[in-house]
Amino acid sequence: MTSRIWTYIEQEDGRAHPVSWELLGAALKLSRDLPDSVVECVLLGEHVEPIIDQAFSFGASRVYAIDDAVLRHYRNLPYSAGISNLIQQHQPEIFLVGATTLGRDLASSIATRVSTGLTADCTELAIDPKKILAATRPTFGGNLMATILCKTRRPQMATVRPRVLPTPQPLTEWKRGEVIRAPLGMREDDVAVKLLRFVAGEAEEEIEYADVVVAGGRGVGGAKGFALLRELADALGGVVGASRPAVDAGWITYAHQVGQTGKTIRPKLYIAAGISGAIQHRVGVAGSDFILAINSDPNAPIFHIADFGIVGDLNTVVPELTKQIRAAKAAQKHD
Amino acid sequence: MTEKLSFDAIVVGAGPAGVSAAITMASKGLHVAVIERGRFAGSKNLFGGVLYTSAIGDVLPDFAKRNPPFERPVTEQGYWLMSPDSVVRLMHKSQAYKVEPAEAYTALRAKFDAWYAEQAASFGALLIPKTNVIDLIRDAQGRVIGVQTDRPQGDVYAPVVILSEGVNNLLTQKAGLSKVDLPPNLVALSVKEVIALPQAAIEQRFGLAGAKEGVAIDIFGDATLGLPGTAFLYANKTSVSIGVGMLLAEFVQHKLRPHEVLARFKNHPVIKPYLQGGEQLEYGAHLIPEFGYDRMPKLLADGVMVAGDAAGMVDALHREGTNLAMTAGKFAGLTAVEAHKAQDFSARFLRMYRRKLNQSFVMKDLKQYRRMGDFLGESPHFMKTYVDFANDAALRYFSAHGMAKRDMEKEIVNSLWQRRSFFGVARDMMKLLRGMGA
Amino acid sequence: MGRPIHVIVAVKQVPDTSNVRINPETGTLIREGVPAILNPYEAHALELAVQLKNTFGGRITVLTMGPAGATEALRECIEQGADRAILVSDRKFAAADTLATSYVIATAIEAIQRETPADLLLFGKQAIDGDTAQVGPGVATRLNLPLITCACAIESFDLDNRLAIVHRRVERGIEVLQTPLPALFTVEKEIAPISRAPLPNIIHAARYTPEIWSATAPVAFDMAQIGIKGSPTIVGNAHTPPLKKAGPAITAAEMGVERAIAEALTAIDKAGVLTGSKA
Repeated sequence: MTSRIWTYIEQEDGRAHPVSWELLGAALKLSRDLPDSVVECVLLGEHVEPIIDQAFSFGASRVYAIDDAVLRHYRNLPYSAGISNLIQQHQPEIFLVGATTLGRDLASSIATRVSTGLTADCTELAIDPKKILAATRPTFGGNLMATILCKTRRPQMATVRPRVLPTPQPLTEWKRGEVIRAPLGMREDDVAVKLLRFVAGEAEEEIEYADVVVAGGRGVGGAKGFALLRELADALGGVVGASRPAVDAGWITYAHQVGQTGKTIRPKLYIAAGISGAIQHRVGVAGSDFILAINSDPNAPIFHIADFGIVGDLNTVVPELTKQIRAAKAAQKHD
Repeated sequence: MTEKLSFDAIVVGAGPAGVSAAITMASKGLHVAVIERGRFAGSKNLFGGVLYTSAIGDVLPDFAKRNPPFERPVTEQGYWLMSPDSVVRLMHKSQAYKVEPAEAYTALRAKFDAWYAEQAASFGALLIPKTNVIDLIRDAQGRVIGVQTDRPQGDVYAPVVILSEGVNNLLTQKAGLSKVDLPPNLVALSVKEVIALPQAAIEQRFGLAGAKEGVAIDIFGDATLGLPGTAFLYANKTSVSIGVGMLLAEFVQHKLRPHEVLARFKNHPVIKPYLQGGEQLEYGAHLIPEFGYDRMPKLLADGVMVAGDAAGMVDALHREGTNLAMTAGKFAGLTAVEAHKAQDFSARFLRMYRRKLNQSFVMKDLKQYRRMGDFLGESPHFMKTYVDFANDAALRYFSAHGMAKRDMEKEIVNSLWQRRSFFGVARDMMKLLRGMGA
Repeated sequence: MGRPIHVIVAVKQVPDTSNVRINPETGTLIREGVPAILNPYEAHALELAVQLKNTFGGRITVLTMGPAGATEALRECIEQGADRAILVSDRKFAAADTLATSYVIATAIEAIQRETPADLLLFGKQAIDGDTAQVGPGVATRLNLPLITCACAIESFDLDNRLAIVHRRVERGIEVLQTPLPALFTVEKEIAPISRAPLPNIIHAARYTPEIWSATAPVAFDMAQIGIKGSPTIVGNAHTPPLKKAGPAITAAEMGVERAIAEALTAIDKAGVLTGSKA
């Protein structure tokens, strides 16, 4: 019998969240280790037709779609009920969902509805020798990695955070596979929760997908210190991040938080200034291509994962770094 | 919720002094509240690590039946005189120490204090955690009638308040009993680590025959860079306590960082093998009031008594504080019980507390060693000179092969005069004897 | 004043993960000496409940599943203003995953509601030890209640008309949602600031003994849905995350800030990570 590996395509306002393709890429890899398996996508929303083609371009062999006006905005009830029905009908072996705010809300309800196991916030997925999904996740605030198995119930569900998995490229040549359209079977009156309005956040920097992140921690000392980091980030065309102590101290908003309880990032260049590098922080940045650490304490654990470390006061090091980068850029323009 | 909170007695601070007072009062039927700033009793406390059962038994005669969380009985104790590369050990181990319950046990304060507070609760005392007492409440005549805490609706009333707030004795000062605001030459700073080791490793390294044996070592000399102060090394069940204490003034004057002094001590060639492979469980620093007898705060006023570290009840020479605190707490508690019987909470009546203390070892010891602090302060070379001399003498003594014993002894004596003049030694000895109260 | 409110807050006692350390030699977790605390998100959930109780009058019931020591977290809830505390504790519940846990909590809540129906169920957004964020949604699903996760503010709470307007934090901003009551919210820390509990509460809590419910009384739980039996997931193995190999660290004070940075930039240049953004 064919084993179906499902991934959820998270979309809002007709745009797919990149994590959807990261999951699809991971599912294709898992499929190689799971005999007789196919990779299929689940898509819910209103007017989602263009996304269906995108799914095929990233390698899906089949898409299950529920297109309904009730699904215009994400709400837990119609989305979780709709997907649970699909699961009961088609019996997938594995179901992967992005560990976004939406995905975590959705996956938890689905797992309860279909009474199966769900492993949240995985950082690694594999098929074990017994053909079971081995889902590895950090626990105890990132201090321990645990591999979770769900042997007896199906589907085996897991959520994975954005940027934990590499972003695949769409295929240049692909063919449109089968699209299974299903009815939602629910009317607006059946959904008690109503979205009254949406207040967009301050034009927030896409910290998860930025190429350069300049982050500050407790050592930055206050909101003022973050101005220095902002200048450096601007010089590099990057964005500003922060460790949990800096966010807890109220120096910068939670949207900037990097690490186990914040966002996982994998920029090309990560600059950590005044961040001691507790393990909770390290797990969120370990995927960076190059880590430059600046800290006055030579024993700060951040230096264990840094590609280059500067032991010194960030209040002198950061402005000088900004200055030299600006100078280098100016020189380049003149070339 | 506007009902006035009142008790028969309020104890500020759930350390050994406060809990002893609470046990004494609650077991005699008083309605007692113990207000503690930490999450639980003992969470803010630190000490070297030896408890004396005579004081505990004095407060709680059946303590042994109540499963106290002791670490090991002290069956061996003594002094190490350390020079930078060697040590002279004066240790005493005896089967006489092997009685149940033993006279002294090593212990960890977080565990012991929590247990001790539970015993007070078992007599009906109420422990109020996570609450700071910020001031005293007085009546029109200025008598203390309660305390003000930092919580909403936080006033608590009682005709008698026992202050056992520890070394930062702000309330004792507010009560007008102490003007001493911790001058650095009267306060010692102790830093300590608890290092986890397998039980078998501890017993092997310290030469202990199982969990019924334990050792407490006080160390002088190089541990404190030859400066006045002491260090210690105690064996617990599955950990060792190691620490260094010096007057705050010494740290300041010599620009020493406490954790560096401890790290240096831990790396001493004699100490290192004891700690090999251990995992640091806790690290802490604590101030120890060494006011001495002559600078002790007044111990009472109308409606209030002071006990323990808050009153400077520390015998630095014998590393005793906890037992003084317990005994003082008990006396304060007994006095409060009598005051309730007489319905008289005036300073005049509460003087009973002072009288009880005067008749006990607490004041007798503190009085006897009243000049010890002065001595060490005035003779900073004492530690270094004599400890190094002892090590040097030992080396000459044990390696003096092929030399007339008389010549060797002469050399040893000469090496002392090289370090310190004859009159210097004589002066030191005189002062030492004075410090010992002779 | 209208009718009084009944809020049920589900809490968890967790190790303070900011204090968790790893033995660098053996790579194992050091659990000794790690203080147990009330999960911070739930402390804020309880504060919201206290605010609602202050507005409408009424009662707060707190509920947790855990070992006997979890009574400490419940006592803290009583200090902060809860009226009743229930610990569901039994060896038979041990090794429960989120599915089994949500079954136990949902079943216990149903039992509480048979005495006094609740107007609102509150959970923290997630527990800081597991970070799964699954139990709240699981309970809402089981009880068939409207669910709002990541609630960060209450815009209005109309008890008489059983309607609330709630702000929900998502990545791109704030959703403003209207929900009928009763409903289940999982909350962010901004939902309500922690206030210092009044002294009479502390005294009341010191004397309070939480109720302890076993697997069989006063509620008979379905043995097939609790503990290991009721948990589809199992932990295969656990290890500490490996560290990436460290590069050189230079001291700015020794070398001079300017040179140190020049060296750093050379290393970055060599790695080629900025080639894309330079253009």
